[in-house]
Amino acid sequence: MDIIPQLIVNSIIAGAIYSMVALGFNLIYGTTKFFDLGYGALAAVGGYTVFYFYKGIGLNLYIAIILGILISGAIGLLIYRLVYAPLRARKSSGMVLLVAALGVMTAVQSIVAILFTSQFQTLSRSAGSEAVYNIFGGVITQTQLIILVLGIVIMVAIGLMFRYTLFGKAIKAVGDDEEVSKIVGINTVRVIGWVFFLGSAIAGLAGILVGFDTGIEPTMGLSLLLKGVIASIIGGIGNVYGGVLGAFLLGFIENFGIWQISGEWKDAIAFGVLIIFLLFRPQGILRR
Amino acid sequence: MEYLIHIAILISIYGILGLSLNLVVGFTGLLSVTQAAFYGIGAYVTAILLTSTGMNFFLAMLLGIVITAIISLAIGFVLSKFKDDYYALGSFGFNVIIYSIFLNWQSLTRGPLGIPGIPRPSLFGFTFSENIWFLVLSVVILGTIYFLCRFITTSSFGRVLKAIREDEEAISVFGYRTLWYKLAIFVISAGMAAVAGSLFASYITFIDPSSFTLTESIFILAVIILGGLANNKGAVLGAVCLILLPEILRFVGFPSDIAAQMRQVTYGVILILLMLYRPQGLVGEYRL
Repeated sequence: MDIIPQLIVNSIIAGAIYSMVALGFNLIYGTTKFFDLGYGALAAVGGYTVFYFYKGIGLNLYIAIILGILISGAIGLLIYRLVYAPLRARKSSGMVLLVAALGVMTAVQSIVAILFTSQFQTLSRSAGSEAVYNIFGGVITQTQLIILVLGIVIMVAIGLMFRYTLFGKAIKAVGDDEEVSKIVGINTVRVIGWVFFLGSAIAGLAGILVGFDTGIEPTMGLSLLLKGVIASIIGGIGNVYGGVLGAFLLGFIENFGIWQISGEWKDAIAFGVLIIFLLFRPQGILRR
Repeated sequence: MEYLIHIAILISIYGILGLSLNLVVGFTGLLSVTQAAFYGIGAYVTAILLTSTGMNFFLAMLLGIVITAIISLAIGFVLSKFKDDYYALGSFGFNVIIYSIFLNWQSLTRGPLGIPGIPRPSLFGFTFSENIWFLVLSVVILGTIYFLCRFITTSSFGRVLKAIREDEEAISVFGYRTLWYKLAIFVISAGMAAVAGSLFASYITFIDPSSFTLTESIFILAVIILGGLANNKGAVLGAVCLILLPEILRFVGFPSDIAAQMRQVTYGVILILLMLYRPQGLVGEYRL
């Protein structure tokens, strides 16, 4: 096993996961213009829902995954209705929303920890005996291949939705100007509600996939979310393709950055990249 | 009694942290979420100096303040380029980076093993080894910091800070170099956090990176938001409430593992409720 092909494969897989989180985050940020940090905790919600249904009460794998996605989406919608919608109706500043989102994140991840303990858990029943493929000298597991494929599918789906569906256009309109969208007859509350549902469901899916790849813990969401946010910013915030581009770029920088040093530095590298981008190219690679 | 003294010492330490962060968030209106990094640098510098050279605690604390001030000057300079949400995000980044340094610079910080055997402070041959005397020391330092903060915030310097918070452009039109003011208060605040770090290190006599995470910064933010932004009494009041509250939960009889998570849930819910119903906190004079 050569090191360079493996690093490339690892970078691509990391990029696929980050791109999913970035897509969901971008969807919410593009529409509502606020940093929904609570969104990260929904990755843990997704992961643990599957853990409960699949490993806990032994439901079929696919049903468990669908339930995981739906439940994270529903909780995301619920949080929006209970917390963010009233705050936005009151025209609260971005700071207020940010602090509320921090509260949501802290509360949700601790509730998950109370229900399932804060131990690290794996989702797959057959850890270690997974099918493994060789690609140009790098090793990729079946789960990782699924992550990659799903990442691309979701990106294409969101891209198509924005381009061809009325709903996608409504989201764009709300993102551009909420007041005017209301005037032309878009039910903005409902559109934003759907955006939260979709974004949160994507976060849940990302959490589930990470759970099958490595494992889940209640605090997994924060680092996942921050990577998604960093990817969105370096790619160009509010831009669907920018987020994906940023995610893969981040994946490569992180994995090649730890080539010679300890893997524990990954987070520091990611934030270093963020700060450099914010300083020198705050609009990101692709503009909205 | 020992238990009450322990709680009181914690309140003093978090009171100092709250007062220091309030200068930046409450009075100057910069949403900084990186206070735990400066708290940690102060703690680490003190701990390393005390255990390796055996110098006097107060000298080590002073050096801790100086080193923290230098680092915070650089961080503050970078952060001063950002606004609002991006400011908060950038400050997140520095917290994560500094936490990674605590964790990974093992030759200096011993990484996750932490630094044990930090001696208690001594002055003129008297050692603050009993907790009651340590409490006296903490309260004296808390009092000093409190009056320092009051002096700063009621001075003409403090009025410029509030003006920056209300309308930075307007005050810069009057010829004030807002950058210098923002940097100065950021460095002062970091220095105060370093004092709290020194106290914490020598009180617990052991430190490891887990005390200085992003979650800790969010907790300090919760302290001042609950107490009230831009009010020095509020910062101390917030520390009293948020330290006492989980202790009450403990008496209700939750097992310690769940009690720790219940604490987090409470902080989260408090932040959400405050943002929804009372964004200025208990006695605050400024709304986010």
